[in-house]
Amino acid sequence: MAVNPDISATFWYGCNMARHGEIVRLATRILAAVGVDAAPAGGPAYCCGSPQEKHARIAAGMAERTVEKFNAAGRDQLITWCPSCHMNMDDFMAPVTEPAFETQHISQLLHARQERLRPLLTQTVTARVLVHAHHGFNGRVPVNKDVPDLLRMIPGVVVVASDMRVPAHMCSSLASIPNGLANAHRATLDAMAAGGADTLVTIFHSCHREAVALEQNHPIRVVNWIHLLAESMGLAYADDYKSWRNAEDPRAAIGPARMDALGEVTYARLLEAELTKKPAA
Amino acid sequence: MREHAAALAGACTACGACYRACPTVAQVPALADAGAETVMTGIRDLLQDGAGNAAAVTFAAACCRSAQCTGACPEKLDAAFMMRLANLRVRGALGDARVATKDDPGWSARVKAFARLTMTEEEQAKWL
Repeated sequence: MAVNPDISATFWYGCNMARHGEIVRLATRILAAVGVDAAPAGGPAYCCGSPQEKHARIAAGMAERTVEKFNAAGRDQLITWCPSCHMNMDDFMAPVTEPAFETQHISQLLHARQERLRPLLTQTVTARVLVHAHHGFNGRVPVNKDVPDLLRMIPGVVVVASDMRVPAHMCSSLASIPNGLANAHRATLDAMAAGGADTLVTIFHSCHREAVALEQNHPIRVVNWIHLLAESMGLAYADDYKSWRNAEDPRAAIGPARMDALGEVTYARLLEAELTKKPAA
Repeated sequence: MREHAAALAGACTACGACYRACPTVAQVPALADAGAETVMTGIRDLLQDGAGNAAAVTFAAACCRSAQCTGACPEKLDAAFMMRLANLRVRGALGDARVATKDDPGWSARVKAFARLTMTEEEQAKWL
């Protein structure tokens, strides 16, 4: 499905999307299909500084190192995924370490290339969707318009009109507000009910990894916008993280082979609390 | 960071339009009785290395980057960036933290552990 690329890019998927390797894989294939040769890069080695932002000097050092690595990669564009990474690049990173690349969010790029994407969306996906929209990032990149525009190109998808906007730029930022995530999820579910939506579409990863747990208590399907585009392109995938998060026994859902490779101690110390966390609503 | 903060604070009139536009305020009980102008006077002070006031510290700490403030600012300031700087300030980015925040020492190891579950060894070698 890939075509001869006319853009060489780094796909900066952030850090926490390591939970969803399939989204990195699918996004890269979708980009290739519209003429973008995108090399994924993310994780702690490509940190924007956000996890250490209360220690300004440490964050600045991490950010400087990351821009230098992107410059050394010699690619024309940096395609962002995470709104925090994107804003940090704009606000703190590029002003300090001159980038040798242009930066744009993946939604902007795909929206700009929608006429290349449209003929690839051949599979019908029957879904009445609400897009989980936040206020914060939309002032920089019009994600609340561009992502629904792209979803409307999928045969069978109906995007429910809604004014629902959750505070913050993505769900992880709601930690600063008492009951912030629970309130956001209740507002989202109310908007879904009002519009008769059966599917919740997340834009950002930090929202997706929390919203998937809503399937435990509500008769809805939660997918990321990249998942839906992939389905319509006929690209197979599995949202393993969602399966683990919603399993009665995440260890069993992960399976013995992967648990052996990961190690029980690592699972218990690093992953168990997150994978057994109750839904916020 | 100090230069940006001082410049924005110098241009801010503490009119409170940004505070009134913020969707977070209604969700923070500690701000229920706070006056917009008082809060923003405190924010200005925080950004200029001052002590601010209790409501300003609460507001800065609660900022979750909804960015509705920027469109509301009659001075056309990047109020969202100003509030982000205030948030970083009260969390101690330049020292002297005013609110407690949790560190996540397992963040990096957790990201890599999830990568081991969702990415092949070849993908980890290339992508991380």
